[in-house]
Amino acid sequence: MKKLLSLATLFILAVSILAGCSGGDSTTGSGAAGGSATAGSFDSTKEITVISREASSGTRGAFDELMGLIEKSGESEVNKLFSEAVIASSTDEVPAKVEVDKYAIGYTSIGAVNDSVKALKVDGVAATEENVKNGTYKVSRPFIIASKGEASEIAADFIKYITSTQGQEVVASEGYVTIDDAKEYTAPSAALSGKLTLSGSTSTEKVIEKLREEYVKLNPGVNIEVTYNGSGAGIKDAQDGKSELALSSRELKEEEKAALTPTVFANDGIAVIVNKDNTMDELTTEQIKKIFTGEARTWDKV
Amino acid sequence: MKKKTILEKGSKVFFLLCSLFSIGAVLFICYFIFANAIPAIQQIGLWEFLSGSSWQPNNTPQEFGIFNMIVGSIYVTAGAILIGVPIGLLGAVYLAKFCPKRIYPVLKQAVSLLAGIPSIIYGFFGMMVIVPFILENFEGNGNSVLAASIVLGIMILPTIISISETSLRAVPKSYEEGALALGATREESAFKVILPAAKSGVVTSIVLGIGRAIGETMAVVMVAGNSNILPSSIFKSVRTLTANIVLEMSYASGLHYDALIATGAVLFVFILLLNMALGLLTSKKRA
Repeated sequence: MKKLLSLATLFILAVSILAGCSGGDSTTGSGAAGGSATAGSFDSTKEITVISREASSGTRGAFDELMGLIEKSGESEVNKLFSEAVIASSTDEVPAKVEVDKYAIGYTSIGAVNDSVKALKVDGVAATEENVKNGTYKVSRPFIIASKGEASEIAADFIKYITSTQGQEVVASEGYVTIDDAKEYTAPSAALSGKLTLSGSTSTEKVIEKLREEYVKLNPGVNIEVTYNGSGAGIKDAQDGKSELALSSRELKEEEKAALTPTVFANDGIAVIVNKDNTMDELTTEQIKKIFTGEARTWDKV
Repeated sequence: MKKKTILEKGSKVFFLLCSLFSIGAVLFICYFIFANAIPAIQQIGLWEFLSGSSWQPNNTPQEFGIFNMIVGSIYVTAGAILIGVPIGLLGAVYLAKFCPKRIYPVLKQAVSLLAGIPSIIYGFFGMMVIVPFILENFEGNGNSVLAASIVLGIMILPTIISISETSLRAVPKSYEEGALALGATREESAFKVILPAAKSGVVTSIVLGIGRAIGETMAVVMVAGNSNILPSSIFKSVRTLTANIVLEMSYASGLHYDALIATGAVLFVFILLLNMALGLLTSKKRA
């Protein structure tokens, strides 16, 4: 009897899960409907929900730099992000949070933007891959691979591969913006063998993993080890000789350029996203800065 | 005969090793955390670390102050207790004393399922349901102390219900019979006789619930908003100690990394204090 009852419970729970699934459309539907029913009533006097990323995120580093959120005076550097900003913990969490909050604004990699949110024009330029590529959309960052001094034979060959037409095909297939004048890559006639160590940006993980896979197919003798520990740590590792190549998802600083030779292998745009009900279609860099520093707290004050 | 004693001795040693292993693990974790945390705390300054309200690892000079997060962890845990304890306790009384035999397995099954749901699922549920609900019906943007408290309140229910229920059932039948014989109603006997008699188990369940709530990470990160501020209302965003660690650990290096471990050490001290409190509460009962 007891067993039967607990089986029955499990069955009911399973059914409710299925019901939840079929209801899934209707709940998201009603969420959207709830949104569209009140779409006309986007109340611009309501407070803006500012959504940013954790302090050490590469995307945030690039965004803060581009929007002028970092105030430098002499030796000191102060981040001016609005202290009540919501901190999302991953690239995909930002659009998820913007989707459910009418008054939210956030930023994320162009590759992570979907139909459920609206990407704003920045200074009148739409956030598209073409605009990143032709340089008109300014909110973008390069993916950089850097070596200390003269790169070793294997390292040089790997860099040659990822900047080649084949390598750039991989970059494009992962949703990033390719670089210009890529050349055809051919594996060296004398087969390479040995180990190559890379470390750096977590943002580059998706594309580097794919590039590594393809490269090893062409050069079976090469063993590539990558540690994704963040741009800053990767650059430091390369400077200290702990790894051969550094991966960075931001431009190198002047003092870093003195020690390392950077090569750009892809570009990634950062889209500024708002809820679909938001009546805004574009913002200027200045307005975005005002929002993210907390100077403008409501949409009508922007 | 001799074979038997060897076997007995052998298994004794084996069991001893098993228990030593868990003690060793605790000591090793203790050592690891404090060996990394103490130099960092010295470098930052104990007072600056504990009472500072600015956490800016990317500024020059860097700032590491976790006061807001200590308060945040306490707020969120207190909220979870306010929501979870009354519901859990009343649920346990119902399950132990009033629940018809036919419904019991159903409810029991549901509670144990609740315990088995991974915390990231709770977080996702919170992010897609509770946060928008608060956003629509109350003030603020939904990512708040309240949202985190509700999610944690639900998460600690199974702990509170199952331990409280067990201790309620362990109260001798004669207590209840005595109360009923003296003319008490079933409700009176449950709340005035059995519940007080099961106090130590109930307190244990609450303390374990607090432990679970204060240490929970993923679900909180997804709904709390994680701003480093001192929340002025339950609708404001909050960052807990655990959230701070998980948000930044993968990127951190140098002093920043050590400061995160030091954050863990503070959390560890919290848990130690909780366990000590638990030990005191239960041992007093026994004595």
